[in-house]
Formats: sequence, C-alpha cells, structure tokens
Amino acid sequence: MKIIDTDVHPRWRSQDELAGYIPEPWRTRFIERRFSIPHNGYPNPTSSFRHDAVPPGGGQPGSDPDFVVADLIERYGMDYAVLIGDSAQLNISALANADAAAAMATGYNDWLIDRWLSRDPRFLGSVYIATQDPQLAAAEIDRVAVHDQFVQVALGSGARMPYGQRFYHPILAAAERNGLAIAIHPLNEGSLIFGAPTPAGYPSYYFEYHALAVSALQTHLVSMVVEGVFEKFPGLKLVIVEGGVGWLPPLLWRMDKDWKSLRVEAPWINRPPSEIVRDHVRITTQPLDEPGNPDHLRQLCSMFPADEILMFSSDYPHWDFDDPTRIFTGFPEASRERIYYKNARDLYGL
Amino acid sequence: MASKGLPIAEVDEIPPGGVKLVRVNGIEIGVFRTPGGYAAVKNVCPHMGAPLCLGRVTGTFAPSRPQEYSWVREGEILRCPWHAWEFDLLTGEALQVPGKRVKTYRVTVEDQRVVLHV
Repeated sequence: MKIIDTDVHPRWRSQDELAGYIPEPWRTRFIERRFSIPHNGYPNPTSSFRHDAVPPGGGQPGSDPDFVVADLIERYGMDYAVLIGDSAQLNISALANADAAAAMATGYNDWLIDRWLSRDPRFLGSVYIATQDPQLAAAEIDRVAVHDQFVQVALGSGARMPYGQRFYHPILAAAERNGLAIAIHPLNEGSLIFGAPTPAGYPSYYFEYHALAVSALQTHLVSMVVEGVFEKFPGLKLVIVEGGVGWLPPLLWRMDKDWKSLRVEAPWINRPPSEIVRDHVRITTQPLDEPGNPDHLRQLCSMFPADEILMFSSDYPHWDFDDPTRIFTGFPEASRERIYYKNARDLYGL
Repeated sequence: MASKGLPIAEVDEIPPGGVKLVRVNGIEIGVFRTPGGYAAVKNVCPHMGAPLCLGRVTGTFAPSRPQEYSWVREGEILRCPWHAWEFDLLTGEALQVPGKRVKTYRVTVEDQRVVLHV
C-alpha cells in the first residue's frame, strides 16, 4: 500500500546545530539564552517521545534524518513524510519580540532545507513562520517557497486571535500565491503572549490539555470558514493536524445549522459550511479515536466525506504514534487508498 | 503440554529493575527482575504493537480519592514506550484497559540460573 505520512516531527541534534542557521544578532542571543522558545508548562508526565525511537548514535528521537528514513519511511514503505515542527521547539510565535521570532523562523527553515529536505526527496517540508508580523512572515514564505519540497506553511494553534481574521491575511495570501497549504498544529496554547489554552482558563493537567487541544484547532477552522478566507483566497487549502477525527461531524452539523440562521453576519458564505470544508480542508488522522466498538469509527466516518477529507498521519516520533498497519483495518480498500495516499497526493500535487 | 525450561541467564546477570530480551522460537520475550523474583512478557504491546519491553519499569497509583496519591507496586509495572499504557508484569493485564493483556511466561530459578518456560 502506498503511504504518505502527513505529520512527522524533525528535531535538531542540539541547540548549536540550529543556532548556526539563525541570523545575527539573534544567533548569539539564542546561544547565550537571552531568549528561549516558550513552553506552555504542560509537559507530558511520562515522555513526549517513543522510547524506541532514539537514534542508534544517541540523541533525541527525530534528530537523525537517516534513522527517520530507516525507522519510519522504509519500515512502512512510505512514499513521503511531511515534516512539521513540533510544539516543544517551535513555539516562536509566542515570543513578545517579533524580530527575534522572525529570525528564528528563517533559521529553522534554512536548517530544515540543509539538514533534512536535501537529505532525501521523500521528506516534504512545512515553512515555519512567526505570526507577530504578518508582512515579515509573508516575505519568509516567498523566500523559501522556491524550494519545491515545501508543501505547506505551518501555524501553531496557540495564537493571539483566530486565523481567519484579516490581521493574518498577508500570510494566507502568500501561501496561496506560492501554492502552499496552511497547516495548523497544536502548539503550546497558553504560553507567553497567547491566550489561555482553553476558553475557560488554565486546566491543571496535561491530561486535560491533551484531551482539549482540538478546541483551539476548531476555533481556527470555524474562523477561517466564517471570515470568508476561502472565498477571498479560493486556491487556499487548510490542513488541521494532530487533532484526531471524531470531533469533525458534529462541528459540521452545527456550522450548517448556524449558517441557515446566522448568515446575515457573514453574507459571503453562500453555501453550507460543510461544503466549504469538503473543498478546502483536510484533516490528519492521528491521534485517531479508539471507540470501544471499532465499528463506531466506521460509522463516524460515514457521517462526513471521510474519503475526501482524511489524510493518514503517524506523529512519529512522538508518544502517541499511530502505526499505519494497525488502524483503519476494517475500512474498504478504496477508502484506505484515499486516506493513506491519494488525498495527500492530490492536496500537495505530488 | 508441560513447558520446557530454557536457561536464559545467571541469577545475578539481570539487576533489580532490569530486563533481558531473549528470542525463543521467533518470539521476543522480556525477562524482568522484579522485587519478588522474575517476570516475563512478550515484547509486543497488545494495543498497537509497540516493543513493550523497552518501556520503563515503574509503579502505579492505587485507586484513591481525588487529590490523594498512593504510589504502590514499584518495580512490578511496565509502562509501554509508546502510549504509556500500564501493564502488570505479574499478570500481563493492562491496568486501565480491562480485557487487554500481554502474554506472560513462567520464570523459575534452578541451579543458580534463570529459567524461562515457553
């Protein structure tokens, strides 16, 4: 079976490895820890990583491109792996200093090109940006999009305001004109200049944060639909990463119901929101819901166009990895082909 | 059928809290030194197939009232290296998932050797 993994996390071997790509004066300040990448204070209580994904030469899981090729791409016979920054290291949009954040994005993108994308053509990249200054972010997208292994622009779900709002439109326009999707991944909601990780404040436990991480993703999805982003940027595609699947059908029902009554607020929405989602939004599958009765997952996937919307993802090398051979096992072959391969191939133009 | 014992280590070879991975008839098995002796489980997590025996040997919290903590069974619980499910090394049961268990094997000590019964 052909497979594209749409959520794989690369890391730098050491802070110094990344620092070499950051422009001065931010490089020196980063090395001397005059600023650091913020974290929201909800570490996983056991481990963020699969213990068995440590590279043979040591170092953190995901820090050795050759081992990711062997341990993930070749082990499962994958055609491509989409690399996207992980939450613990790339939370630069939470920094108060917009220019330090933009320099970090530049350093990260050049590091990714040099250490990962150049290493193997099966690696696809996500452009990292800092959202504090959308004009700088758009310029960074234009700068690196010439590298054809980049397929999307990565945004974290931690934010100061929902991504449909016009503040962000220069970023969305840059993605569209460069043929890149926008991918939103959970990312340290609640850290530094971001709002709290839930609309009701700060929960006590990572357990709660993890169970509710999809709420910020939902906020951005609804914002982008209702603000008319996909009417203003008709070529734009959105990928919701690492939120699982089960929440989607009831949200589509709710949006369609509300649209019938509340379109007066957003008259540019001239068709049911569920149709806009079908045409513009893709959802990566991990962490896939595991109902006690496996048939319930199949039923759930009959409640929305799953064959068009879902894209397989593993989240390698993180702790809640989904093994591609162990999920969607009871699904028809045609559905599996679309979820594991064709939907991502079509979205990214591979 | 009576199982045939297979010596897999000298008694002092596996330190307290340690594990030795062995392959018997193509099946990888982890033999653990527990506070009370030895325990052996198959190196495949019944949830998603992870190499279970690479996980951390730990304890668990006994059921308690809210905001109370009671740490028990240190050294008898194996936590999966992927999704952190807790397994009872002595019975193979997944503590939070009734009906899910990893296969266990009997381990004895005979003539100063650790003997695995497969």
